[in-house]
Amino acid sequence: MSKSRSSSLSTHAANLSSKTGANQSKFFKTFGDDIWKNKIEKVNAELFIMTYGVIVQQLCQDFNNDYMKINENLFSMGYNIGVRLIEDFLARTALPRCPNMIMTSEVITKVAFKVFLNITPVVDNWSSNKDTFSLILVENPLAEFVDLPHDAKKQLWYSNIICGVLKGALEMVQLDCDIGFVSDVLRGDASTEIRVKLNKILKDEIPLGED
Amino acid sequence: MGIEAILIINKSGGLIYHRSFDVSKTNPTGTTSKHSLNSNDLLILASTLHSVFVISSQITPKALQLSQSNLNYTIPYHPYVGVKNPEKSPRNSIPNKYGSFKGDDYFKEPFHSWNKSGLKQLSTDQFTMYIYQTMTGLKFVAISSTVLPSHNDSETNMMNNSGININNNSSKNINALQYNLGSQIADNLLRKVYCIYSDYVMKDPFYSLEMPIKSDLFDDKVKSLIDNLL
Repeated sequence: MSKSRSSSLSTHAANLSSKTGANQSKFFKTFGDDIWKNKIEKVNAELFIMTYGVIVQQLCQDFNNDYMKINENLFSMGYNIGVRLIEDFLARTALPRCPNMIMTSEVITKVAFKVFLNITPVVDNWSSNKDTFSLILVENPLAEFVDLPHDAKKQLWYSNIICGVLKGALEMVQLDCDIGFVSDVLRGDASTEIRVKLNKILKDEIPLGED
Repeated sequence: MGIEAILIINKSGGLIYHRSFDVSKTNPTGTTSKHSLNSNDLLILASTLHSVFVISSQITPKALQLSQSNLNYTIPYHPYVGVKNPEKSPRNSIPNKYGSFKGDDYFKEPFHSWNKSGLKQLSTDQFTMYIYQTMTGLKFVAISSTVLPSHNDSETNMMNNSGININNNSSKNINALQYNLGSQIADNLLRKVYCIYSDYVMKDPFYSLEMPIKSDLFDDKVKSLIDNLL
Protein backbone atom coordinates (compact mmCIF):
# COMPACT_ATOMS: atom_id res chain seq x y z
CA MET A 1 0.00 0.00 0.00
CA SER A 2 2.62 2.46 1.07
CA LYS A 3 4.80 1.26 -1.73
CA SER A 4 2.27 2.02 -4.41
CA ARG A 5 1.66 5.44 -2.92
CA SER A 6 5.30 6.40 -2.90
CA SER A 7 5.83 5.21 -6.43
CA SER A 8 2.89 7.27 -7.61
CA LEU A 9 4.45 10.23 -5.81
CA SER A 10 7.60 9.80 -7.79
CA THR A 11 5.93 9.57 -11.16
CA HIS A 12 4.46 12.90 -10.22
CA ALA A 13 7.89 14.24 -9.37
CA ALA A 14 9.24 13.20 -12.74
CA ASN A 15 6.57 15.12 -14.62
CA LEU A 16 6.49 18.07 -12.28
CA SER A 17 7.43 20.73 -14.74
CA SER A 18 4.71 19.68 -17.14
CA LYS A 19 2.11 20.09 -14.44
CA THR A 20 0.22 23.27 -13.92
CA GLY A 21 -1.56 25.20 -11.24
CA ALA A 22 -3.87 23.22 -9.04
CA ASN A 23 -2.37 19.87 -9.91
CA GLN A 24 1.12 20.93 -8.96
CA SER A 25 -0.01 22.52 -5.76
CA LYS A 26 -1.88 19.37 -4.80
CA PHE A 27 1.20 17.28 -5.45
CA PHE A 28 3.37 19.44 -3.19
CA LYS A 29 0.77 19.26 -0.46
CA THR A 30 0.75 15.43 -0.39
CA PHE A 31 4.52 15.39 -0.80
CA GLY A 32 5.09 17.70 2.18
CA ASP A 33 2.49 15.97 4.34
CA ASP A 34 4.06 12.60 3.64
CA ILE A 35 7.52 13.76 4.71
CA TRP A 36 6.15 15.41 7.83
CA LYS A 37 4.20 12.30 8.82
CA ASN A 38 6.56 9.51 7.94
CA LYS A 39 10.07 10.67 7.27
CA ILE A 40 11.25 13.18 9.81
CA GLU A 41 12.02 13.00 13.52
CA LYS A 42 10.40 15.72 15.63
CA VAL A 43 11.25 17.65 18.76
CA ASN A 44 8.86 18.87 21.40
CA ALA A 45 7.12 22.04 20.21
CA GLU A 46 7.11 23.76 23.60
CA LEU A 47 10.83 23.16 24.01
CA PHE A 48 11.39 24.70 20.61
CA ILE A 49 9.20 27.75 21.32
CA MET A 50 10.84 28.36 24.69
CA THR A 51 14.35 27.99 23.29
CA TYR A 52 13.63 30.57 20.64
CA GLY A 53 12.09 32.88 23.21
CA VAL A 54 15.19 32.62 25.37
CA ILE A 55 17.39 33.46 22.38
CA VAL A 56 15.43 36.63 21.63
CA GLN A 57 15.42 37.60 25.28
CA GLN A 58 19.16 37.07 25.53
CA LEU A 59 19.67 39.28 22.47
CA CYS A 60 17.54 41.98 24.10
CA GLN A 61 19.83 41.86 27.11
CA ASP A 62 23.02 41.79 25.06
CA PHE A 63 22.03 44.76 22.94
CA ASN A 64 20.28 46.77 25.66
CA ASN A 65 16.95 46.61 23.87
CA ASP A 66 18.29 48.14 20.68
CA TYR A 67 15.63 46.47 18.55
CA MET A 68 17.13 47.40 15.20
CA LYS A 69 20.30 45.57 16.11
CA ILE A 70 18.30 42.64 17.42
CA ASN A 71 16.38 42.37 14.14
CA GLU A 72 19.67 42.40 12.28
CA ASN A 73 21.14 39.74 14.51
CA LEU A 74 18.15 37.46 14.27
CA PHE A 75 18.33 37.80 10.51
CA SER A 76 22.00 36.89 10.35
CA MET A 77 21.49 33.95 12.72
CA GLY A 78 18.74 32.79 10.40
CA TYR A 79 20.94 33.29 7.36
CA ASN A 80 23.58 31.02 8.82
CA ILE A 81 20.95 28.41 9.58
CA GLY A 82 19.48 28.70 6.08
CA VAL A 83 22.71 28.09 4.17
CA ARG A 84 23.07 24.81 6.07
CA LEU A 85 19.44 23.80 6.34
CA ILE A 86 19.03 23.85 2.56
CA GLU A 87 21.25 20.76 2.35
CA ASP A 88 18.96 18.93 4.73
CA PHE A 89 15.96 20.01 2.68
CA LEU A 90 17.50 18.91 -0.62
CA ALA A 91 18.81 15.60 0.74
CA ARG A 92 15.37 14.88 2.12
CA THR A 93 13.25 15.90 -0.84
CA ALA A 94 15.56 15.72 -3.91
CA LEU A 95 13.17 18.07 -5.70
CA PRO A 96 14.18 19.39 -9.12
CA ARG A 97 14.97 23.08 -9.68
CA CYS A 98 11.89 25.30 -9.88
CA PRO A 99 11.40 26.92 -13.30
CA ASN A 100 9.62 29.99 -11.88
CA MET A 101 8.81 31.81 -8.64
CA ILE A 102 5.29 30.43 -8.59
CA MET A 103 6.62 26.92 -8.15
CA THR A 104 9.24 28.21 -5.71
CA SER A 105 6.48 29.69 -3.56
CA GLU A 106 4.62 26.39 -3.64
CA VAL A 107 7.70 24.46 -2.55
CA ILE A 108 8.48 26.95 0.23
CA THR A 109 5.00 26.91 1.72
CA LYS A 110 3.76 23.37 1.13
CA VAL A 111 7.02 21.48 1.53
CA ALA A 112 9.65 23.55 3.39
CA PHE A 113 7.44 25.23 6.02
CA LYS A 114 5.47 22.01 6.41
CA VAL A 115 8.51 19.82 6.91
CA PHE A 116 10.38 22.08 9.32
CA LEU A 117 7.62 23.93 11.19
CA ASN A 118 4.43 21.98 10.38
CA ILE A 119 2.67 25.08 9.08
CA THR A 120 1.58 26.05 5.59
CA PRO A 121 1.65 29.81 4.98
CA VAL A 122 -0.70 31.30 2.42
CA VAL A 123 0.85 32.79 -0.71
CA ASP A 124 -0.71 36.08 -1.71
CA ASN A 125 -0.18 39.56 -3.18
CA TRP A 126 1.71 38.55 -6.32
CA SER A 127 3.33 41.40 -8.18
CA SER A 128 2.32 41.73 -11.82
CA ASN A 129 5.61 40.32 -13.13
CA LYS A 130 5.41 37.36 -10.74
CA ASP A 131 8.69 37.91 -8.96
CA THR A 132 7.42 39.21 -5.63
CA PHE A 133 4.96 37.56 -3.30
CA SER A 134 3.83 37.55 0.31
CA LEU A 135 3.78 34.67 2.74
CA ILE A 136 0.97 35.07 5.21
CA LEU A 137 1.61 33.09 8.35
CA VAL A 138 -1.81 32.15 9.60
CA GLU A 139 -0.18 30.51 12.59
CA ASN A 140 3.35 31.14 13.77
CA PRO A 141 4.79 28.54 16.15
CA LEU A 142 7.67 30.83 17.10
CA ALA A 143 5.31 33.49 18.42
CA GLU A 144 3.16 31.16 20.51
CA PHE A 145 2.77 32.36 24.13
CA VAL A 146 4.55 35.60 23.22
CA ASP A 147 3.60 39.10 24.32
CA LEU A 148 5.86 41.96 23.35
CA PRO A 149 6.59 44.79 25.78
CA HIS A 150 5.21 48.13 24.69
CA ASP A 151 8.46 49.66 23.41
CA ALA A 152 9.32 46.53 21.40
CA LYS A 153 5.99 46.56 19.58
CA LYS A 154 7.05 49.38 17.31
CA GLN A 155 10.42 48.04 16.24
CA LEU A 156 11.06 44.38 16.95
CA TRP A 157 10.32 41.75 14.33
CA TYR A 158 10.15 38.88 16.77
CA SER A 159 10.29 36.07 14.18
CA ASN A 160 12.88 37.75 11.95
CA ILE A 161 14.99 34.58 12.06
CA ILE A 162 12.57 33.02 9.53
CA CYS A 163 13.43 35.72 6.97
CA GLY A 164 17.12 34.98 7.47
CA VAL A 165 16.61 31.26 6.99
CA LEU A 166 14.69 31.88 3.75
CA LYS A 167 17.34 34.30 2.51
CA GLY A 168 20.20 31.87 3.20
CA ALA A 169 18.45 28.84 1.80
CA LEU A 170 17.31 30.56 -1.40
CA GLU A 171 20.75 32.02 -1.97
CA MET A 172 22.27 28.53 -1.89
CA VAL A 173 19.98 27.48 -4.73
CA GLN A 174 21.07 30.58 -6.65
CA LEU A 175 18.03 32.78 -6.00
CA ASP A 176 19.04 36.21 -4.71
CA CYS A 177 16.01 37.54 -2.84
CA ASP A 178 15.05 40.39 -0.51
CA ILE A 179 13.04 39.08 2.37
CA GLY A 180 11.47 40.95 5.25
CA PHE A 181 8.45 41.25 7.51
CA VAL A 182 5.84 43.83 6.63
CA SER A 183 3.41 43.10 9.43
CA ASP A 184 3.16 40.92 12.51
CA VAL A 185 0.19 40.10 14.75
CA LEU A 186 2.52 40.51 17.74
CA ARG A 187 2.73 44.19 16.84
CA GLY A 188 -1.02 44.47 16.72
CA ASP A 189 -1.32 44.09 12.94
CA ALA A 190 -4.14 42.10 11.38
CA SER A 191 -1.86 39.44 9.92
CA THR A 192 1.72 38.20 9.91
CA GLU A 193 3.17 38.82 6.48
CA ILE A 194 6.63 38.16 5.00
CA ARG A 195 7.46 39.77 1.67
CA VAL A 196 9.74 37.84 -0.71
CA LYS A 197 11.20 39.68 -3.69
CA LEU A 198 13.42 38.02 -6.28
CA ASN A 199 16.32 40.29 -7.21
CA LYS A 200 18.00 38.05 -9.71
CA ILE A 201 18.88 34.47 -10.44
CA LEU A 202 22.60 33.97 -9.88
CA LYS A 203 23.10 32.25 -13.24
CA ASP A 204 26.88 32.09 -12.95
CA GLU A 205 26.63 30.08 -9.81
CA ILE A 206 24.27 27.39 -11.03
CA PRO A 207 26.40 24.24 -10.93
CA LEU A 208 27.43 23.15 -14.41
CA GLY A 209 26.10 19.82 -15.51
CA GLU A 210 22.63 20.61 -14.37
CA ASP A 211 21.23 21.42 -17.78
CA MET B 1 30.00 -3.56 -5.19
CA GLY B 2 33.09 -2.90 -3.12
CA ILE B 3 33.59 0.77 -2.40
CA GLU B 4 37.24 1.73 -2.20
CA ALA B 5 36.84 5.40 -1.41
CA ILE B 6 34.35 8.18 -0.88
CA LEU B 7 35.24 11.77 -1.76
CA ILE B 8 33.33 14.99 -1.30
CA ILE B 9 34.20 18.00 -3.45
CA ASN B 10 32.84 21.45 -2.63
CA LYS B 11 31.33 23.77 -5.20
CA SER B 12 34.64 25.46 -5.98
CA GLY B 13 36.43 22.18 -6.67
CA GLY B 14 38.19 21.73 -3.35
CA LEU B 15 38.39 18.33 -1.71
CA ILE B 16 36.65 18.54 1.66
CA TYR B 17 36.43 14.87 2.54
CA HIS B 18 38.23 11.73 1.61
CA ARG B 19 38.06 8.29 3.06
CA SER B 20 39.45 4.98 1.84
CA PHE B 21 37.96 1.68 2.83
CA ASP B 22 39.55 -1.68 3.26
CA VAL B 23 38.55 -3.75 0.29
CA SER B 24 40.69 -6.76 1.10
CA LYS B 25 37.49 -8.69 1.84
CA THR B 26 36.43 -8.42 -1.76
CA ASN B 27 39.92 -9.02 -3.06
CA PRO B 28 40.65 -12.74 -2.55
CA THR B 29 44.21 -12.55 -3.81
CA GLY B 30 45.08 -10.52 -0.74
CA THR B 31 47.20 -8.06 -2.65
CA THR B 32 47.14 -4.62 -1.15
CA SER B 33 46.56 -1.77 -3.53
CA LYS B 34 49.72 0.00 -4.59
CA HIS B 35 48.04 3.12 -5.83
CA SER B 36 47.63 4.86 -2.49
CA LEU B 37 47.68 8.60 -3.01
CA ASN B 38 49.02 11.24 -0.68
CA SER B 39 46.90 14.18 0.33
CA ASN B 40 48.37 16.46 -2.31
CA ASP B 41 47.60 13.96 -5.08
CA LEU B 42 44.07 13.75 -3.80
CA LEU B 43 43.60 17.51 -3.94
CA ILE B 44 44.84 17.52 -7.54
CA LEU B 45 42.59 14.59 -8.37
CA ALA B 46 39.58 16.41 -6.91
CA SER B 47 40.12 19.64 -8.80
CA THR B 48 40.90 17.77 -12.01
CA LEU B 49 37.70 15.82 -11.62
CA HIS B 50 35.85 19.06 -11.04
CA SER B 51 37.19 20.46 -14.32
CA VAL B 52 36.60 17.29 -16.30
CA PHE B 53 33.05 17.32 -15.01
CA VAL B 54 32.52 20.80 -16.43
CA ILE B 55 34.24 19.98 -19.71
CA SER B 56 32.17 16.85 -20.19
CA SER B 57 28.99 18.90 -19.85
CA GLN B 58 30.28 21.21 -22.60
CA ILE B 59 31.27 18.53 -25.11
CA THR B 60 27.90 16.82 -25.18
CA PRO B 61 26.98 16.97 -28.88
CA LYS B 62 24.29 19.52 -29.82
CA ALA B 63 22.06 16.89 -31.33
CA LEU B 64 22.12 14.99 -28.08
CA GLN B 65 21.32 18.08 -26.05
CA LEU B 66 18.27 18.74 -28.18
CA SER B 67 16.98 15.22 -27.86
CA GLN B 68 17.61 15.31 -24.13
CA SER B 69 14.60 17.42 -23.33
CA ASN B 70 12.34 14.41 -23.11
CA LEU B 71 14.74 12.25 -21.16
CA ASN B 72 13.73 11.06 -17.76
CA TYR B 73 16.12 11.92 -14.96
CA THR B 74 14.42 9.89 -12.30
CA ILE B 75 16.59 7.39 -10.50
CA PRO B 76 14.77 4.30 -9.23
CA TYR B 77 14.92 3.48 -5.54
CA HIS B 78 16.85 0.36 -4.62
CA PRO B 79 15.72 -0.86 -1.22
CA TYR B 80 18.15 -0.86 1.68
CA VAL B 81 21.37 0.06 -0.11
CA GLY B 82 23.89 0.37 2.70
CA VAL B 83 21.37 -0.02 5.51
CA LYS B 84 20.11 -3.12 7.30
CA ASN B 85 17.05 -4.72 5.82
CA PRO B 86 14.69 -5.06 8.79
CA GLU B 87 13.00 -8.08 7.25
CA LYS B 88 16.24 -10.02 7.15
CA SER B 89 17.59 -9.09 10.57
CA PRO B 90 16.55 -11.02 13.70
CA ARG B 91 13.18 -10.03 15.06
CA ASN B 92 14.36 -8.94 18.48
CA SER B 93 17.14 -6.70 17.22
CA ILE B 94 16.80 -2.99 17.93
CA PRO B 95 15.72 -1.05 14.85
CA ASN B 96 18.41 1.22 13.49
CA LYS B 97 18.07 4.97 13.75
CA TYR B 98 19.19 7.19 10.93
CA GLY B 99 19.62 10.62 12.49
CA SER B 100 16.71 12.91 11.76
CA PHE B 101 15.52 10.53 9.05
CA LYS B 102 12.60 8.54 10.40
CA GLY B 103 11.97 4.94 9.44
CA ASP B 104 14.25 2.09 8.43
CA ASP B 105 15.84 3.79 5.42
CA TYR B 106 16.91 7.34 4.59
CA PHE B 107 14.41 7.62 1.77
CA LYS B 108 12.07 5.23 0.04
CA GLU B 109 11.11 6.75 -3.25
CA PRO B 110 12.67 7.18 -6.67
CA PHE B 111 14.29 10.59 -6.97
CA HIS B 112 15.32 13.25 -9.41
CA SER B 113 18.93 13.51 -10.55
CA TRP B 114 20.40 17.04 -10.59
CA ASN B 115 23.34 15.88 -12.68
CA LYS B 116 21.93 16.11 -16.18
CA SER B 117 24.82 16.71 -18.51
CA GLY B 118 27.90 16.35 -16.35
CA LEU B 119 30.16 13.35 -15.91
CA LYS B 120 28.34 10.66 -14.07
CA GLN B 121 30.37 7.53 -14.36
CA LEU B 122 33.94 6.77 -15.30
CA SER B 123 34.91 3.19 -16.05
CA THR B 124 38.43 1.93 -16.32
CA ASP B 125 39.97 -1.52 -16.13
CA GLN B 126 41.06 -0.72 -12.57
CA PHE B 127 37.99 0.79 -10.98
CA THR B 128 34.68 2.48 -11.66
CA MET B 129 33.95 5.98 -10.41
CA TYR B 130 30.49 7.43 -9.81
CA ILE B 131 29.61 11.09 -9.30
CA TYR B 132 26.48 12.54 -7.69
CA GLN B 133 26.10 16.31 -7.83
CA THR B 134 23.65 18.25 -5.67
CA MET B 135 21.72 21.41 -6.50
CA THR B 136 24.12 23.42 -4.35
CA GLY B 137 27.10 22.25 -6.42
CA LEU B 138 28.51 19.71 -4.01
CA LYS B 139 29.91 16.54 -5.58
CA PHE B 140 29.86 13.15 -3.92
CA VAL B 141 32.23 10.67 -5.53
CA ALA B 142 32.40 6.93 -4.98
CA ILE B 143 35.24 4.82 -6.29
CA SER B 144 34.22 1.22 -6.68
CA SER B 145 36.56 -1.72 -7.17
CA THR B 146 34.07 -3.31 -9.56
CA VAL B 147 35.40 -3.37 -13.09
CA LEU B 148 32.70 -3.26 -15.70
CA PRO B 149 32.98 -5.38 -18.83
CA SER B 150 34.37 -3.47 -21.75
CA HIS B 151 34.95 -4.13 -25.41
CA ASN B 152 38.61 -3.32 -25.20
CA ASP B 153 40.16 -3.54 -21.81
CA SER B 154 42.86 -1.03 -22.45
CA GLU B 155 40.30 1.59 -23.33
CA THR B 156 38.66 4.01 -20.99
CA ASN B 157 34.98 4.44 -21.45
CA MET B 158 33.17 7.56 -20.46
CA MET B 159 29.48 7.60 -20.21
CA ASN B 160 27.35 10.65 -19.75
CA ASN B 161 24.06 10.78 -18.04
CA SER B 162 21.91 10.13 -21.05
CA GLY B 163 23.24 6.59 -21.04
CA ILE B 164 24.94 7.06 -24.35
CA ASN B 165 28.49 5.98 -24.69
CA ILE B 166 30.64 8.89 -25.74
CA ASN B 167 33.25 6.80 -27.48
CA ASN B 168 30.57 5.28 -29.58
CA ASN B 169 31.87 1.83 -30.44
CA SER B 170 29.15 0.40 -32.58
CA SER B 171 29.73 -3.13 -31.33
CA LYS B 172 27.48 -2.66 -28.28
CA ASN B 173 30.47 -3.42 -26.17
CA ILE B 174 28.80 -2.54 -22.95
CA ASN B 175 26.42 -4.54 -21.01
CA ALA B 176 24.07 -1.57 -20.72
CA LEU B 177 22.02 -3.15 -18.00
CA GLN B 178 25.00 -3.63 -15.75
CA TYR B 179 26.09 -0.06 -16.34
CA ASN B 180 22.71 1.28 -15.41
CA LEU B 181 22.27 -0.87 -12.35
CA GLY B 182 25.68 0.03 -10.99
CA SER B 183 25.10 3.71 -11.52
CA GLN B 184 21.62 3.58 -9.96
CA ILE B 185 22.90 1.82 -6.86
CA ALA B 186 25.75 4.31 -6.65
CA ASP B 187 23.30 7.22 -6.87
CA ASN B 188 21.20 5.68 -4.11
CA LEU B 189 24.29 5.22 -1.98
CA LEU B 190 25.64 8.70 -2.61
CA ARG B 191 22.32 10.36 -1.86
CA LYS B 192 22.49 8.59 1.50
CA VAL B 193 25.96 10.00 2.06
CA TYR B 194 24.39 13.39 1.27
CA CYS B 195 21.68 12.71 3.87
CA ILE B 196 24.34 11.88 6.46
CA TYR B 197 26.29 14.98 5.43
CA SER B 198 23.23 17.17 5.93
CA ASP B 199 22.67 15.69 9.37
CA TYR B 200 26.16 15.39 10.81
CA VAL B 201 28.21 18.00 8.99
CA MET B 202 25.73 20.80 8.28
CA LYS B 203 24.28 20.62 11.80
CA ASP B 204 27.69 20.62 13.47
CA PRO B 205 28.12 24.12 14.90
CA PHE B 206 31.90 23.78 14.85
CA TYR B 207 32.04 23.08 11.13
CA SER B 208 32.77 26.04 8.89
CA LEU B 209 31.33 25.88 5.40
CA GLU B 210 33.51 24.81 2.47
CA MET B 211 36.23 23.56 4.84
CA PRO B 212 37.55 20.00 5.26
CA ILE B 213 35.25 17.75 7.25
CA LYS B 214 36.70 16.40 10.47
CA SER B 215 33.84 14.74 12.23
CA ASP B 216 34.00 11.37 13.95
CA LEU B 217 30.25 11.01 13.87
CA PHE B 218 30.17 11.57 10.13
CA ASP B 219 33.03 9.09 9.71
CA ASP B 220 31.21 6.44 11.71
CA LYS B 221 27.96 6.84 9.83
CA VAL B 222 29.61 6.70 6.43
CA LYS B 223 31.57 3.65 7.48
CA SER B 224 28.48 1.78 8.64
CA LEU B 225 26.81 2.66 5.34
CA ILE B 226 29.71 1.16 3.39
CA ASP B 227 29.97 -1.84 5.72
CA ASN B 228 26.33 -2.68 5.18
CA LEU B 229 26.73 -2.56 1.45
CA LEU B 230 26.56 -6.04 0.02
